[in-house]
Amino acid sequence: MKYAVLVALAIIVAFFPFVAGNEYILHITTLIFIWAFVTTAWSYMGRFGLVSLGHGAFLGVGGYTAGLLFNSIGLTPWAGMLLGGLLAALLALMVGYGCFRFGVIGDYFALLTLALGEVVALLLVAFRDETGGSLGFTLNRIDSSFLYLQFERKIYFYYIALCFLILALILWKWIDRTKMQKALRAIGEDEIAAATLGIRIVRYKLYITMISAFVTAVGGVLYAQYITYLNPHTLAGVGPSLDIAFKAILGGMFSLWGPTVGAALIVTLEEYIRVTYGSQFIGVSQIVYGVALVMLIMFLPKGICGTAEDLWRKVTSR
Amino acid sequence: MSILIINALVNGILLGGVLALLAFGMNLIFGVVKVIHMAYGQCVMLGMYVIYTLTELSHVPFLAACGVAVVVMAIWGALLQTLVINRLLSANRLNQLLALAGLIIVFENLAHVIWGADLRGVRIQMPLLSIGNVFLRTSNLIAFIGALIALAGLYFFLHKTYTGLAIRSVAQDVECSKLMGINPKTIYLITLSVGGGLTGVIAAFFSPIYSVHPQFGGSFTMMAFIIVVLGGMGNLLGGFVGAFIIGIVTSLSAVLTSTEIAEILVMTLFIVVVLMRPQGLFGIRQSR
Repeated sequence: MKYAVLVALAIIVAFFPFVAGNEYILHITTLIFIWAFVTTAWSYMGRFGLVSLGHGAFLGVGGYTAGLLFNSIGLTPWAGMLLGGLLAALLALMVGYGCFRFGVIGDYFALLTLALGEVVALLLVAFRDETGGSLGFTLNRIDSSFLYLQFERKIYFYYIALCFLILALILWKWIDRTKMQKALRAIGEDEIAAATLGIRIVRYKLYITMISAFVTAVGGVLYAQYITYLNPHTLAGVGPSLDIAFKAILGGMFSLWGPTVGAALIVTLEEYIRVTYGSQFIGVSQIVYGVALVMLIMFLPKGICGTAEDLWRKVTSR
Repeated sequence: MSILIINALVNGILLGGVLALLAFGMNLIFGVVKVIHMAYGQCVMLGMYVIYTLTELSHVPFLAACGVAVVVMAIWGALLQTLVINRLLSANRLNQLLALAGLIIVFENLAHVIWGADLRGVRIQMPLLSIGNVFLRTSNLIAFIGALIALAGLYFFLHKTYTGLAIRSVAQDVECSKLMGINPKTIYLITLSVGGGLTGVIAAFFSPIYSVHPQFGGSFTMMAFIIVVLGGMGNLLGGFVGAFIIGIVTSLSAVLTSTEIAEILVMTLFIVVVLMRPQGLFGIRQSR
């Protein structure tokens, strides 16, 4: 049953570009895949109670490292992805070590990471000679090239983003099978109790934070390559950081498919409202979007996947 | 150069007064209702628009407009409490945080739709005071003194009235205060109205100093967080001192370097404080 659904899903996404026929729909689906990838990375740590509101920092570090290296010395984004990811992991190591060593959790962790995202955005603006400041910069244009991750047609990027998303989901499954997952679950429930069992709290939290930061940075590179334009306010700072958290919480960050569902929902909602109402009243669409967001968080606190799982359990247990 | 620094110092202290008021509001809400009001600066922004609309478009005298803004913002705060925060009381922390963060989107775009993206300012000319080589803007001085008076008033409200006593007891222990016959829901409503009214007061002090635009509130919300954490969450006195520290650091480093570096410095200071002294500079370490 479960495999049948998975196979059906795989067939649908594999052949979707040929059915869709429309570049615009393909564009939206690609965006959904990229954001689902980033949101999944966020949820790696979010689901263990490590709620970060500063993942924009990692997104920005990744995107800007790869983008700047490509524009200045023509380094392929694949290498830039690796470098950006490692830099983001290093940043996560530094900040994370401080946080976990000194026992910063809950609200404080959330606010600290929020400030971190903002610091990265401000730094990107401050070094305007290299980064273009608030105006951002455009990636040098190259014809379709797999090596440089730029394509004339959207269909290529659709499959690449899809592959990355699948890898992120596999990584989630892999984390689930490791000892780390059990340790982190225990830490998430009660840190002190976990510590008395001999679980190395700092080490495990650092592992998961670094993995999450690395994957998020890769997502930043993907997004930047797809849009071919980098801006500190779309890749770092408070806005994107909160957006990632919104997607995760709406989809349900405790389930494998939650982040993907959340990303799909928010990207679609944003686009739908923008296209339907955007041209008539600028800003009204955003109000509707904001209200919808607040209402969904209020009335579906466990997210869509979490609520659906609860319902399913209720139905099957009867 | 030294004159510049003295000027920056004085202006930092004056800015600190208003920031203290901002931090007080957020702190009060955090201490009593135990939620972090992510959209507090945005409420100030809305209050400034109310004043702008009344004075510039309807030609109401400035002081009357300020009075109306305080009332409107108090009602706005009460609405927020009944419609949103009340339903989030039993939700987990992340949901509370993000639902209130979602309000940022709503408020900013509301302002955008109604008043547009342009800078809107109240046109009031106030003389520049000078003491020796130190120059003060009268509007800053008034804001500073007004903020101190407002803080003193709030102190008396919290310590000398029955309602204030009830608010403090809810902040200390909700369950026990219920046993004393206090209805927490009512106290929350009062707290949010006071906090909302405070945003109106801050808006009144800000209006002659700054022009308002829809994204105006963001940096002040951030500033308020930083001050609140610096002083220790829920610690009202700590927030007061923290506000002056941040005010001075901001204006000094803005003179010595640039405004972006100043912001980065303040954020970094914040991160270091959270790491080293999560209970705040003036808090007592609680067992976690």
